[in-house]
Amino acid sequence: MTTSRPPPFDAWLFPPGLPQPQALEHVGSDTVTIRYPKSDHHLAYILVSSLRAARPPLAGLETRDLITLLGAAGERFPHTLDEEAIGEVAANAGLSPPMTREVLGGMADSWTTDALKRLVRAEFPDPRVLDGFVAEDGRKTHAAAPGVTLHLGAGSVPGVTITSLLRALLVRSPVLVKPGAGDEVLTTRFARELHRADPRLAAAVAVHYWPGGSPGRATWEQELLTLADQVVVYGDDDTIESVRARAPASTRLVEHPHRLGVAIVDPDSAPGAAADAARAVAMFDQRGCVSTHLILLLGDHEGAREWCGHLAGHLARIDAKLPPAPPSPAELSARHQLKGRLALRETTTEEVTSWAPEGAGWTLVLGPGRAFEPVGGRTVWVVPVPAAAACPDVLAPLSAKLQTVGLAGVRPDRGRLAEALFGLGATRIVPLDQVPFPPPDWLHDGSRPLRELVCWSELR
Amino acid sequence: MPKARGAGARENEVPAEMRVILDELSAVFGGWDGSGRDDAGAGREGGGRVVRGAEPCRAAPLASDAAFNELAMRIHEAQRATNPVLRRFWDASPGGKPADWREIPAVPATAFRDIAIVAGTPERVFRTSGTTGGGGRRGEHHVLSLDVYRAAARANYRHHLMRGAESLRVLSLVPGPREVPDSSLSAMAGFMAAEPGVGSAAWGFHERDGVDIAAVRAAAAGGGPVLVLATAFSLVHLLDALGDERIPFPDGSRMMETGGFKGRAAEVDRDTLYGRAEHALGIPRSRIVNEYGMTELLSQAYDGVAGTAPALRERLHRFPPWVRTRALDPATLAPLPPGTPGLLAHFDLANAGSACHILTEDFGHTTPDGRLRLLGRVPGAPPRGCSMAAESFLRAFRTTP
Repeated sequence: MTTSRPPPFDAWLFPPGLPQPQALEHVGSDTVTIRYPKSDHHLAYILVSSLRAARPPLAGLETRDLITLLGAAGERFPHTLDEEAIGEVAANAGLSPPMTREVLGGMADSWTTDALKRLVRAEFPDPRVLDGFVAEDGRKTHAAAPGVTLHLGAGSVPGVTITSLLRALLVRSPVLVKPGAGDEVLTTRFARELHRADPRLAAAVAVHYWPGGSPGRATWEQELLTLADQVVVYGDDDTIESVRARAPASTRLVEHPHRLGVAIVDPDSAPGAAADAARAVAMFDQRGCVSTHLILLLGDHEGAREWCGHLAGHLARIDAKLPPAPPSPAELSARHQLKGRLALRETTTEEVTSWAPEGAGWTLVLGPGRAFEPVGGRTVWVVPVPAAAACPDVLAPLSAKLQTVGLAGVRPDRGRLAEALFGLGATRIVPLDQVPFPPPDWLHDGSRPLRELVCWSELR
Repeated sequence: MPKARGAGARENEVPAEMRVILDELSAVFGGWDGSGRDDAGAGREGGGRVVRGAEPCRAAPLASDAAFNELAMRIHEAQRATNPVLRRFWDASPGGKPADWREIPAVPATAFRDIAIVAGTPERVFRTSGTTGGGGRRGEHHVLSLDVYRAAARANYRHHLMRGAESLRVLSLVPGPREVPDSSLSAMAGFMAAEPGVGSAAWGFHERDGVDIAAVRAAAAGGGPVLVLATAFSLVHLLDALGDERIPFPDGSRMMETGGFKGRAAEVDRDTLYGRAEHALGIPRSRIVNEYGMTELLSQAYDGVAGTAPALRERLHRFPPWVRTRALDPATLAPLPPGTPGLLAHFDLANAGSACHILTEDFGHTTPDGRLRLLGRVPGAPPRGCSMAAESFLRAFRTTP
């Protein structure tokens, strides 16, 4: 019996009326092949021009109607994904199907009508300001995104690009989406749902995957960076710097670089924290910018060792319930390297202890803060810290990349600690159980996600 | 503990058991002339010794598995006695006392970023560039004896790069050892420049200023063949700087290129690169050979002998006979048969002063005659999201004041 290879997935979607691509390219694995257009100069121009023409009809929608349209599509979308589709999304993202379902369930909470209302209300107390000029202290103000937004995705956390796409549409910006490698399937499927929902949305949404940063795409990317009015870029430092270097001054850049999540736990005051910590580590297979990589545990080393035993148990339970996808050779190699390195460290005077059961998809390391580095693949480092007041010093070297700090049981010093963490650059300080899925109105990387997309105009 | 040569701030101290081993290795390496190699046919050109049709490595010291294993196990015992980090690592590893070098637990290459693995006080510390090997925290190879490094490198580069030439001049597009004293590659370039048969040496690439075109022109204009030492990076810089200009090197010139194989962003197409070099510098592809080396290993592998190197697609790398390489199953680390790709683990006897058995992040397969096809970095890069990975983190960490 032979198993047939699944047909390729078309990772593009153009507004109705545009010519379909003639030449296609492929990229893929044994389980999913992604097909995308061979880009050229004319396509870039046609795509962006078409999207720009879709802006007036989009702007003509009132915010409440737009929210209803988008929210309905967002609520409908998860139900359109059958087992086969989930399997395809999972294979594309490199997640297991159970983890994919869990991630989608959490992310989709931000795509509902109520969630979008909450987001708009949080950022624009009078949402009519998105529809036209509204009186405000002796003047009138109006907010809208400039022209066409180009979204450059970062990778394989399903749903991140969808959230970004919805944000652009809420502020009336037609959007050309390049999904990250590993997020092509879900993004394109959602865009198809928007196309079905309303012709004004269909005209304002385009998806086109290509392997970002490849030498053969330099001219194409340059064309788009020049033609787009605004670029939302997710990625590592190299990607961000590359886009910065190439985008003209007239193109607005909204940057979301890679970030690091940590947690501070007082085990005496938060007996259930180990379960929440395991979930914060494992969700998205630790690929989210919110994912926890480092836990500062208040107390001494012996207490930390005991707590790590509990955490290991919870990581194992999540491993069974939400298993990681089968690891690639590169992931296996990284695990062997880490395992050997930890074994060597354990031979030194450093107090390093690791838990990495054979065949498990997670690793737990107990050791000093100076030894920490984010490894990914559900690897968490626990560092004993004598008191909450000492945590900022331990985190200081990470300040440039700090984003989410999950707190559990840290009550007496919470206010002072939060001020110190904010001073270090932490932009999200939340209870540990809320770490994996931020609410729709969260301050993403320290910005208000709709306000960072809009331009304001005043009328006096 | 007898003292060897002093170097740097700390005095080089070599435990007696290890000193005996290092002296033996220097003698063994120094006595090897490349004979017994199936690529020794290269010696046909220019009157070098030809050992065509010989059993691979038959005539070389350590060619037999028994001889290799005997020395490997003696080194293992000396390391147990003198290298506390390795001893504790091995004691904590599963499995009993090894009966064979293959059973000695391998040290991951990335561990050189964390911890000094050395039997004594090093004579020199070599550091990785930080652009390969996964990040900005640089790996450090604490080298107990430069003599051993020189002996291991020398026998090999003389065989692969210097055969057939009465005398050579060296043009190094690798910064010199004075400029980058912690670079193992620069140190090797310094060894080559100091060879008795080398008439002069010019340093044509500097960390701060890049390629020195004037030095390149001067080297090409002099009489007699030139050995050009280049990284893929410096060679690309030179060729880009030349544009359409051609600087033909004298007949018999040859080139060692290194560093272009790692599957990273700056990866170059070697076929294109060699074609450009042939066109611009007049050095034919058959005289351009690739060197595979790592800071963590004191021995190197070459993919041909300058002058008779075959077409790129036919090339395979080969270490000297004091190195054994295996491809291991990425999941289980079980050894794989020749022809099956896996994670590469090298056992380099020249690393006696640090750690001989190194598990790399490189992918490739072996051949029945002990050669090696390098396939680059391990495939299937870990999936990425918007969470910071180690490489970015370490880069940022290093630059954070």
